[in-house]
Amino acid sequence: MPKHDTPLLDELEKGPWPSFVTDLKRQAEKKPECFDILGQLELSFRDKITHWKHGGIVGVFGYGGGIVGRYSDVPDRFPGVAHFHTVRLNQPSSKFYSSAKLRDICNLWEKYGSGMTNMHGSTGDLVLLGTTTPNLEPLFYELTHDLNQDLGGSGSNLRTPECCLGRARCEWGCYDTQDLCHTLTMHYQDEIHRPAFPYKFKFKFSGCPNDCVAAIARSDFAVIGTWRDDIRIDQAAVKGYIKGDFIPNAGAHSGKDWGKFDIKKEVLDLCPTECMWMEGDTLKIDNSECTRCMHCINVMPRALRPGLKQGATICVGAKAPILDGAQFATMTIPFLEVKKNEDGEYAEVVEVIEKIWDWWMEVGKNRERVGETIMRVGLPTFLKVMEVTPLPQHIKEPRSNPYVFWQEDEVEGGFERDIKEFRKRNAQ
Amino acid sequence: MALSKDELKAAILEKALNGPKAQLYVKDFYACDPEAGPRDVKNAANDLVKEGKMDFWSSGSTTMYAAKGRAKDEEHR
Amino acid sequence: MGYDPENPMADRITDIGPPHYEQFFPPVVKKNYGKWLYHELIQPGVLMHKGESGDECYTVRVGAARLISIELIREICDVADKHCDGYVRWTTRNNVEFMVDSKAKVQPLLDDLKGRGNRFPVGGTGASVSNCVHTQGWIHCHTPATDASGVVKAVMDELFDYFVSHKLPAQVRVALACCLNMCGAVHASDIAILGVHRKPPMIDHDAITGLCELPLAISACPLGAVKPATVKNSAGEDIKSVKVNADRCMFCGNCYTMCPAMPLADPDGDGIAILVGGKVSNSRKAPMFSKLVIPFLPNTPPRWPETVAAVKNILETYAKDARKYERVGEWAARIGWEKFFEKTGIPFTIKSVDDYRLAYDTWRTTTQFKFTSHIK
Repeated sequence: MPKHDTPLLDELEKGPWPSFVTDLKRQAEKKPECFDILGQLELSFRDKITHWKHGGIVGVFGYGGGIVGRYSDVPDRFPGVAHFHTVRLNQPSSKFYSSAKLRDICNLWEKYGSGMTNMHGSTGDLVLLGTTTPNLEPLFYELTHDLNQDLGGSGSNLRTPECCLGRARCEWGCYDTQDLCHTLTMHYQDEIHRPAFPYKFKFKFSGCPNDCVAAIARSDFAVIGTWRDDIRIDQAAVKGYIKGDFIPNAGAHSGKDWGKFDIKKEVLDLCPTECMWMEGDTLKIDNSECTRCMHCINVMPRALRPGLKQGATICVGAKAPILDGAQFATMTIPFLEVKKNEDGEYAEVVEVIEKIWDWWMEVGKNRERVGETIMRVGLPTFLKVMEVTPLPQHIKEPRSNPYVFWQEDEVEGGFERDIKEFRKRNAQ
Repeated sequence: MALSKDELKAAILEKALNGPKAQLYVKDFYACDPEAGPRDVKNAANDLVKEGKMDFWSSGSTTMYAAKGRAKDEEHR
Repeated sequence: MGYDPENPMADRITDIGPPHYEQFFPPVVKKNYGKWLYHELIQPGVLMHKGESGDECYTVRVGAARLISIELIREICDVADKHCDGYVRWTTRNNVEFMVDSKAKVQPLLDDLKGRGNRFPVGGTGASVSNCVHTQGWIHCHTPATDASGVVKAVMDELFDYFVSHKLPAQVRVALACCLNMCGAVHASDIAILGVHRKPPMIDHDAITGLCELPLAISACPLGAVKPATVKNSAGEDIKSVKVNADRCMFCGNCYTMCPAMPLADPDGDGIAILVGGKVSNSRKAPMFSKLVIPFLPNTPPRWPETVAAVKNILETYAKDARKYERVGEWAARIGWEKFFEKTGIPFTIKSVDDYRLAYDTWRTTTQFKFTSHIK
């Protein structure tokens, strides 16, 4: 495959940020199909339009996910990318790798693909970009046999679950995000690889309310770590921050002079519930008023830590705008201890998930995310499905319209009445 | 009385082969046995793919089923 | 053995899932798992995590393109082998993290990375612009309204100084999705760059019969703008096809996803919208959606100067005006959106007034507002 002139793309070799164009050119020396990637992309830069077509049936046998079909609409000019299918590999929880594992993946992709990847896709998969239909089965064979690795989800499947790095390298992980993510990924292999649902379904696991994997914005089933006792305080460290021994916000503001640390201005006054105050140089917190937003802990990580009675809040139904508009996940279960049972399963979490699925598989319309189903039937119906007691925590404020859908059995005497009896007392 | 798994698979395949729609959502097969649960239906449909009698067709975001050879696809135009 | 094309199902392995994460932990991570005490950013891009044991884990965070080659991954492996016992990780924002277990090992690692050209910029921590997450764009997607990698490269070049420093009021998350479907879910970003289509789909009546299931194309439309129609193809035959009511089209491209005979991409129609003020974290204010402030900027490859300038203007206006800790959306909410438009100099247009579903939530229903230059 010949090199193509790429005067427009060459402009993207300039500047301080790493250049994917330079990277593609380097790769093309070993994998000449990358010249055709560059060539076709240059054409798109000139035409201001994509040159890819979607292919629907492409996959490995028996799997309904993990491969997304892609074809060039100018294959005669760029034969190296005539087929350019995507392969999604299920990443290990929180994306730690050994170089040995990565090199194995690189070698496999050198053999069967274009050499280009996404580290990682938006859902979390390690994405291999660009291979042909005949390469898919041999690639899958070696992937499973030699690399002990499997594909991720796509289509109407459970999508590849994703978690924050949690307890591996963060002091705020309120439950074991990696273990929950991995355990459920293994538990639901069938749902990840074969379609089961009206539409996609995503799990995301964050260890604390900072929510570094954006569970509340992006996942149908968001498990977000929290605690229900008191924030742990090291008063000596509080004094250290006030004195200036420790840099506030872990040094996140070190590039600008914001003046001396002011605990009142930077912590107490920014607390959304105003539940903190100083008594002399002692910090006090009314924990019953705290909504666990993390701000004070973020600013003074050496002095404050989440409480010890840890677990997670479960929120359901987030999605990007398509179709009804963007939704955040709705708080459904305020607190769940995220515990493994003796069989190595998170039975309580599984029970919640399957309650949602059993209902949504029945009631959800085609191409309707569960958040849209909840919107359509109403939160009260969903809470009944979930067998969750309605709580003031489920709402921001009570409804302001009076149109309650009363059920017949809730009203004395029921709905059946006799109009003739009525007319005897109330004339037409 | 619910259908047996084999009867359910036969009903699904019949609909995929001879129904008016070439591509079907899993929900379209629920009517093959109104007494079967959604999971039974999707497991039966997925079995038919494993047996090579049906294909998955995916838009990338959503997945449908089609009897072998009936789905519309770029590569098979 | 190996794969046998004559017998593809022989000893097939399926449903084994991902490899277990624990085998990829550096020893200091494995030892201190669940026992971390606190962390500090010792300089932009370098984190120190302190364990209850007294152990320290130093992490050097490096920005990377999302689209990377196996050659570059191998180079990352070389760095990991040389400095980090062969371990490395990626963040959710496409950054690479190299971890070492003592402060003495940090500088040699930084020096090594610096010696490799501009491939490994260190930063993306604290009150910075971290790496811009994005979708595929013209490199791989079939429905994009703009490119992704190219726009992001141009934007990150311009914001580079904010990636390698800690001088903003708070972290600023920039994200790009190349069409309205937002498979990149940019709807909760401080600054979102969003590809938008503006022309209704064309209909390829010659191809539609072979390519599409008509009922799927019709039901794909959220606003019922796609209707069945009998039309003549170019051979003069009456065929069953569809028509599109352009007045009702919201340019989402959902029909094209289900029916490739309805392309809507267009060099002049497509471009970029800018949304601002979203956040995911629950810190202080509840999570917020990004809001549309610039409805359209043209696609101008290779470096999208209008988009780059718009993003930079919003970022720098915010940087100058916001209080410490305030995210872009918290700042805009405090000063009021009328002030946001005045301070940034972004012309307010009717396109920012919602007329889609749930629109009422965003209309002002109080007499409280500020008199800005918008009121003549």
